[in-house]
Amino acid sequence: MKRHQTGLLNQALLIVVIVVLAVLYLCAALGLIDSNVMRIMLSMCLYCAMGTMWNLMSGHCGLTSLGQQSFVGLAGYTLAVMTTYYSLPYGAAIIVGGILSALLALGLSLVFFRMRGMYFAVATWITAEALKTIFTSWGFVKKGAGMTVKLRPYPTTMEIFILALTLAIVATLVVHFLLKSRTGLGLSAMGNDADAASSVGVNIFKSKLVCFVLAGFFTGIAGVIFYMNKGSIFPTGGFSIEWTVSIVFIVIIGGVGTSVGPIVGSIIYVLLSEFLSKYPGWSNIILGIIAIVVIVVMPDGIVGTLQKKFHFEIMSLRRHAPE
Amino acid sequence: MIQQIVNGILLGGVYALVGVGMSMIFGIVQLTNLAHGEFVILSAYLSTVLCTNLGLHPLLTLIITVPLMFVIGMVLQNLLINRVMARGSEPALLVTFGLSIIIQNTLLLLFSADAQRMVTSFQSLSVDLGPIKLPVLQLLVFGIGLVVVLLLDLFMKKTYLGQSIRATSDDKTAATLMGVNVKHTYGIAMGLAMGTAALAGLCVGMPWTFYPTSGSQYLIIAFGVVVIGGMGSIKGTLVAGLVFGLAQVLGGTNYGMLVSYAVLLIMLIVRPQGLFSK
Repeated sequence: MKRHQTGLLNQALLIVVIVVLAVLYLCAALGLIDSNVMRIMLSMCLYCAMGTMWNLMSGHCGLTSLGQQSFVGLAGYTLAVMTTYYSLPYGAAIIVGGILSALLALGLSLVFFRMRGMYFAVATWITAEALKTIFTSWGFVKKGAGMTVKLRPYPTTMEIFILALTLAIVATLVVHFLLKSRTGLGLSAMGNDADAASSVGVNIFKSKLVCFVLAGFFTGIAGVIFYMNKGSIFPTGGFSIEWTVSIVFIVIIGGVGTSVGPIVGSIIYVLLSEFLSKYPGWSNIILGIIAIVVIVVMPDGIVGTLQKKFHFEIMSLRRHAPE
Repeated sequence: MIQQIVNGILLGGVYALVGVGMSMIFGIVQLTNLAHGEFVILSAYLSTVLCTNLGLHPLLTLIITVPLMFVIGMVLQNLLINRVMARGSEPALLVTFGLSIIIQNTLLLLFSADAQRMVTSFQSLSVDLGPIKLPVLQLLVFGIGLVVVLLLDLFMKKTYLGQSIRATSDDKTAATLMGVNVKHTYGIAMGLAMGTAALAGLCVGMPWTFYPTSGSQYLIIAFGVVVIGGMGSIKGTLVAGLVFGLAQVLGGTNYGMLVSYAVLLIMLIVRPQGLFSK
């Protein structure tokens, strides 16, 4: 009976979400949204996509990456080079940026997956630092002077927002269905007992690889869309640890390992940093304090804590035996 | 060339000091302290403030910074890190990440992004040995690094406290049964590590300029010392410091950091348990 009820609740929620998203698309397309609001929602969507991917890695595969900025920077520079040097359309840059980031993830995974926990975290971070140093001294990308993004015709904020919204939706759905699939089952078995999972035929390396490459792909695309909106890229910004700081904050606040945690987290993060931008210099300090307090006091994050308290689960990954 | 190698070796002594605290925490508390670099830079700022405001000689600031950092370390470990460590290594890793962000941005807020440097009376003195020049300042910080690392080793091997710390790192349960208070031991270990960070802060703050954001650079060096040296090996720590010192000097100002990153990544891939681990 109870399961039946949650099933109904889930269906109702799903319908609400679809209607809200449809209305959002429509309002954006009709130009009914204020450009400032659109800008805020644009960053929510991008952070949501990046957070969802980090959550997939950290919450489900045990891959705590501190180097997501590698993908953002690489893809951002792909956009700048393709559009400025070769006058290619941004659609091509989105695809190439995503693929290059996925390839970087693939290459890194071959050597980094042997490392455990903290070694992996630090290795990804150092890779990003190394990339930052390389891009700062590489003449082709104008060294530390940075590059501008030249798009003809330049897309409006509305068009960029629609791209970002689509990216967030696709990223969330891809992760959800991946975790519902056999690979997801394998990952959850791996989370419980890696040796046991491996002995019943779960290919741990392959499962992790799929997640890491997907994360690289989507984080890269988010980077391309971000720099389409920003218009210029510098090595210090593109490969900044700030990206990972924000992403980690979002997932921790929302709830590591929960499906909707990154969505809630990115909404809170963007609103909070909009509010804190009035106090320059303080925002990162306050975000850091909030993150630590949440880790200590509310380890499951907002969504995880609510779910435990009220016994429900949005976009549940739970599997039920057939009746 | 010889001059450069000498410079690299002198730098290596300081790097060993930067890394020894991180290595201790990694080995004993089994925590990757991502804030270690920030603790070093925080100490450098503390020393600078004491120098300029109280007119203390840079070396005398250690009387204040070392105990202060020791206490901060113990408090942090007991109030914060011990609590989250019960839930696995990941939350603890992220807490130290949060700490590093807080310290870095607080320094930015207080001291702006400008370069800082401690001025000493023996800034430009050097010992001439024919073709080689040994700057007194570099010799001094090299000496401090060497002495501290060796003293720490002696402390760990010869004193009761040091032995109980090592026992905890070998086998937590057995140490508890023998009457060692594990959490208290962790607090002391963190305090000691922070004390070395205070010394390291002075040693990097006297010869070189530093910024609020310099922490990550020293964290990478500290991490390199952990990885190359392997934890708990004093010989490893010193050798790793030298490797990084030489890599940095031979790479020059443009590629020094890049060479260090490359050395570290290769080590992580080829031998993540360190060169000198048992």
